[in-house]
Amino acid sequence: MRFNLFHLMPYPYLPDDFDENYTSASLILPNSVYDPTLGAALFNRYLDELEYAEKLGFDSVCVNEHHQSAYGLMPSPNIVLAALARRTSTIGLGVLGNAIAIRDHPLRVAEEVAMLDAISGGRVISGFVRGIGFEYYAQSISPTKSLARFREAHDLIIKAWTTREPFQWVSDNYEFRYVNVWPRTVQQPHPPIWVPGTGSYETMKWVAEHRYNYLSVYAPSRVIKGWFDGFRRAAAECGYTPEPEQIGLSIPIYVAETDAKAHEEGRQHVEWLYRRGLKITQQLYFPAGYMTEKSWRGLVSAGAKQFFELSYEELLEQGYAIVGSPATVREKLKALESYLGFGNLCAVLQIGDMPFDRTIRSMELFASEVMPAFERSGAAHRPALEPVG
Amino acid sequence: MTRLDRRLEGVTPATILRDGGVEDMTADVIDRTAAVPGGSISILEGGAGRPLLVLHPAGGAGAWMPYHEMLAQHFRVIAPDSPGFGRSAQIESVEGVDDLAFLYADLIAKMGLQDPMVLGFSFGGWVAAELAVLAPELISRLVLVDAIGLRVPGAPIADQFAMGPQEKIAALFHDPAAAADLFPENPDLDTLTAFYRDETAFARYAWSPFCCNPKLAKRLYRISAPTLVLWGGDDRLVPLSHGEKYAAMIPDAELQVIPDAGHAVLMERPKEAVQAIVRFLER
Repeated sequence: MRFNLFHLMPYPYLPDDFDENYTSASLILPNSVYDPTLGAALFNRYLDELEYAEKLGFDSVCVNEHHQSAYGLMPSPNIVLAALARRTSTIGLGVLGNAIAIRDHPLRVAEEVAMLDAISGGRVISGFVRGIGFEYYAQSISPTKSLARFREAHDLIIKAWTTREPFQWVSDNYEFRYVNVWPRTVQQPHPPIWVPGTGSYETMKWVAEHRYNYLSVYAPSRVIKGWFDGFRRAAAECGYTPEPEQIGLSIPIYVAETDAKAHEEGRQHVEWLYRRGLKITQQLYFPAGYMTEKSWRGLVSAGAKQFFELSYEELLEQGYAIVGSPATVREKLKALESYLGFGNLCAVLQIGDMPFDRTIRSMELFASEVMPAFERSGAAHRPALEPVG
Repeated sequence: MTRLDRRLEGVTPATILRDGGVEDMTADVIDRTAAVPGGSISILEGGAGRPLLVLHPAGGAGAWMPYHEMLAQHFRVIAPDSPGFGRSAQIESVEGVDDLAFLYADLIAKMGLQDPMVLGFSFGGWVAAELAVLAPELISRLVLVDAIGLRVPGAPIADQFAMGPQEKIAALFHDPAAAADLFPENPDLDTLTAFYRDETAFARYAWSPFCCNPKLAKRLYRISAPTLVLWGGDDRLVPLSHGEKYAAMIPDAELQVIPDAGHAVLMERPKEAVQAIVRFLER
C-alpha cells in the first residue's frame, strides 16, 4: 500500500447562520467571511501538518486546486508544493491536481510543475483534473468545453515535457506557435500522472490507455467498487492488469484512541466536510454540459442524495469516511482493500473544521498503528535525485 | 396520436391558453426536417401568407406554443430548432451564434423564402440580430423580443445557468404563480433530460462571452429592415436598457414595452405581445 496524506486546506470559520442562510460554500459565499489574519495562520498551520507527514513516514503529501471556495483554499496548489519543496527532502509532492481544463494557459502548468520537480529533486506527482462544476463559473469557461479542453491541455503538456525542440501547437482550444518549455522535469520522461474519475467509462479507458493512476472521489463504497472494476476492465481491454498502486482510494479518516472518542470528536468534522464544505446547489455543482447527456441521466436516475443531505450515520455506513480506533480503522481499511482492490490510499486526515491538535494526533495514530499493518509499496515514485539541501 | 401531438399536449398548459385567448388550435402544423451544412434541423411550420421565421428562446424549442398559433393566423410561421435545442441534434461545426446566423441565412435561401420577416425571442433574438447584421438584404422586417446579445455596462443579464427551477420561474415571469403550470411539478427523466439538453446547447452558445457578442452593438448599423424591439416591462433577466440599446443602435427601430410582463412575455402575455407584433408586421 502506498500512503498519501491528502490535504484540502478548508476554511473552517463559517458564519454561525451558515446552515440556514447560505446555499453554498463555494463561488457565491462572500469573501467577507474570510478573515485574512485567521487565514494567514491557517495556511501556516496546514503547511506544518503537511511537513509533519514526512517525519511520520507517509509516501507523499497531496493537495488540490479549487477556486473561490471555503471547501479548499488552494487556487494555486503549485504554490503550496513550492512552500513544501524546500522544507521536506524525501516525501512525494502530489498535486491532485492542476485543473488544466480551466486554465487559459496550460503551458504555465507544464512550466510550474517542471520547476517544482527541479526544486524538489524529482519528487512531484502531477495530477490533472477537470475541476468541479462551480470552477467553470469562476473561470468563465463553458462546461461544454471541459472534456475537450482537458484532453487537449493534457496532450499539449505531455508533448511539451517530452519534446526536445521548439514545436507549434494548434488544437480547437489552444494555439501556441512556440512551445519550448524550460526548465525540463527531473523525472523522465515526465512525473507520474494521477487522474481522478467520477464513474465515466470514457475516463477510465483514457486513464488505462495512458497507464496513469486512477483515483476515486468521494462516493459510497459500492459505487467506487463499480468504478474500480470498470478501470480494471478498461486496463484489460488495453491488454494488461493494473498494479495495485495504479488504483487509488481517496477517503477521509479520523483515528482516536477509542471508537467512542473517535465518533464523539470526529462527527462534527465529517459533517462539516460534507454538509458545509461541500454544500452547493445542483446548478453550480453540475452545470449544463459538464457531463454528457448519458452520464447526466445516470446521475439523475440513480437518485443519489447530494453530499450535504446525508447524515453522519449515512456517510459512515455508505463509506464516505472512516472513523474509529486504530484497530477499527485497520479493520475497515483492510475490508475496503479486499472489497475494492486498491494499493494507493489518499487519506484526508485533516477533515473539515478539525483543529490542529486532533489532526496531529490522528496523523500520529494512523502512522504508528494503521500503516504498519499494511505491506508498503511506495517505492515506485522515490525521488529521482538525492535529497537536496 | 402523432409524436407532434404528444409534444403539443405537453407544452400547452391551460393557463396559457386561457390567458392567450386561443381555445382551439386550428393551424395545420407541419413537422419537418431540413438538411443544413453538417447535419439537419427540425422545423415546425404552420399558417399561410408572408413567411415569418420565428427563432426560439433557450427554453421552449420544439414546441408549437400559443404565440406560434396566434402568429400563424396571419403569417406562414416557420419555427426551427437551432442545433442542440429541442429536437435538433447538436452539429459539431455550429459552435457559436455567428454560425447560427450563417445557418439561417442558408436556410432562407434554401427554402426559397421571399422577403421573410424574422422574429427572435430572447436567445433567438440574439440569433435574429446576428442574422440581420450578416445578411441585411435578406430580411424585410425584424422583431426582437426581450433579446439577449448585447452587453450593457451596469446592467448585466442575470445568470440563468446558476438558477434552480424555482428561481428561474421567478426571473422569467412577472407573475411567477400564474406560470407555475408551465413546469411540471415532478418531471420525469425524459423531461429533465430535455431541459438538460437545451441548457447544454445554451451553454455551448452563450456561456462565454456571457449571452452576448461584444462586437454586435457596433455592427447593428448594418440592419436595414424596419425593426420592432418588444420588451416585457418587468424583465428581471434582461434589463430593459438592453432593449433601449437595440432600439437606439438599429437605424429604423422602435421600442414597445408590454407592461406587467416578464422576460417570457410571449408566454406570459401572448395576446398583447402578438397583437403588437402583428400590427407592426402588417403596417
